[in-house]
Amino acid sequence: MTTLVAEPIGYRSMTEPRRGGDLDALLRRVARGDADAFAAFYDHTSSRVYGLVTRVLRDAGYSEETTQEIYVEVWRTADAYDPAKGSALSWLMTMAHRRAIDRVRSEQAAGQRESRYGAANVDRAFDLVADSAIAADERRRVRECLDGLTDVQRQCIDLAYYGGLTYVEVSQRLAANLSTIKSRMRDALRGLRNCLGVP
Amino acid sequence: MTEPTEFDLIELATPYALNAISETERAAIERQLASAPAAVARVFRDEVRAVRETMAVVSAANATDPPARLRAGVLATARVENARQSRWRVALLTAAAAIVVGLAAFGAGIALRPSPAPTMAEQIMAAPDVRTTSSPLAGGTATVVFSRDMNAGVLVMNNVPPPAQGTVYQMWLVGDKGPQSAGTMDTAAVAPSTTHMFSDLGNSSVLAFTVEPGNGSPQPTGKIFAKLSLT
Repeated sequence: MTTLVAEPIGYRSMTEPRRGGDLDALLRRVARGDADAFAAFYDHTSSRVYGLVTRVLRDAGYSEETTQEIYVEVWRTADAYDPAKGSALSWLMTMAHRRAIDRVRSEQAAGQRESRYGAANVDRAFDLVADSAIAADERRRVRECLDGLTDVQRQCIDLAYYGGLTYVEVSQRLAANLSTIKSRMRDALRGLRNCLGVP
Repeated sequence: MTEPTEFDLIELATPYALNAISETERAAIERQLASAPAAVARVFRDEVRAVRETMAVVSAANATDPPARLRAGVLATARVENARQSRWRVALLTAAAAIVVGLAAFGAGIALRPSPAPTMAEQIMAAPDVRTTSSPLAGGTATVVFSRDMNAGVLVMNNVPPPAQGTVYQMWLVGDKGPQSAGTMDTAAVAPSTTHMFSDLGNSSVLAFTVEPGNGSPQPTGKIFAKLSLT
């Protein structure tokens, strides 16, 4: 793996597990009902999923419940994963994010989260306990890239991606017009993508 | 709401990929995407893909080990699901595709939705040792899904013509004590898709079929015209 040596914190090294084969292959085995592959897939990805869900839901009980639902969905729908449309990790994190956002929105609709709502705070993200499956250099690199965003770009990502607001709600919250918000989101993502070397 | 223009559509790719849209907007975007020019749809999808790959990498920033009990819970759920669904999938994949028709008729789609009290067929499908064997039968197909642990099996026949009037198909489980009758099917019982349960496989190694006069015989009198191995 000379690529990994030459570029130790490149895109592939950040999204592929260090052992046990690549996630795509694991997910294809999961689709065939392979319980061992499912356990390995869980071990390689659960800290990312749980970390994201916790960041969005801010409640340990809800987060555990939602994480469990996400993996049940992985188990049930792994055969719908199409490698041509993206990586296994992206498939998983998209599903996980969607679930967490759905949960946060339904809680908000039920009025149960008023006090916590809108408390999205990027600093909290870095206080979490380091985890074994993600190397320190990856975390540092991602953090540097997040730090490279402008404050208004980061605020948009926090409110929308982690806070569960729609871009329309973000524009209302920040009293900025819609096209400004869309531009900030797009620029934020382009910045991150370039910084992280995502193809 | 107003349908977005092509330009608006592409501008929405990032909010869409971040799930930063309402469900109403999601539906409108997907509708428009379906009828958009291929080049526009490609730009949109490429953008969505890039955003999602990027956020997948970003997820390292928040990575937190979940409590160990969660792993146990997730894997246990999968085992239960495996028993209820994947076993079905495996069983169905190994059987002839036509078996689906028979099972649907038999169990009204038990493969697709777990019922509170599993039927015998469902329990067989969920058994860890479930096996499937299939053979041509009188121009149609016979498939047996069986479990030694459950000591039971389900026969599914597709497109097997009914026996002549005044005769029955009789099934025999053949073990070391010779053939034991496993039931009969008369003309009326044989539909384009027919199912039949066996509740006592014993030590039988073969399921054999004969044509018998009247309502069947204590021992086979007709020639065995089909057999399915149960080993």
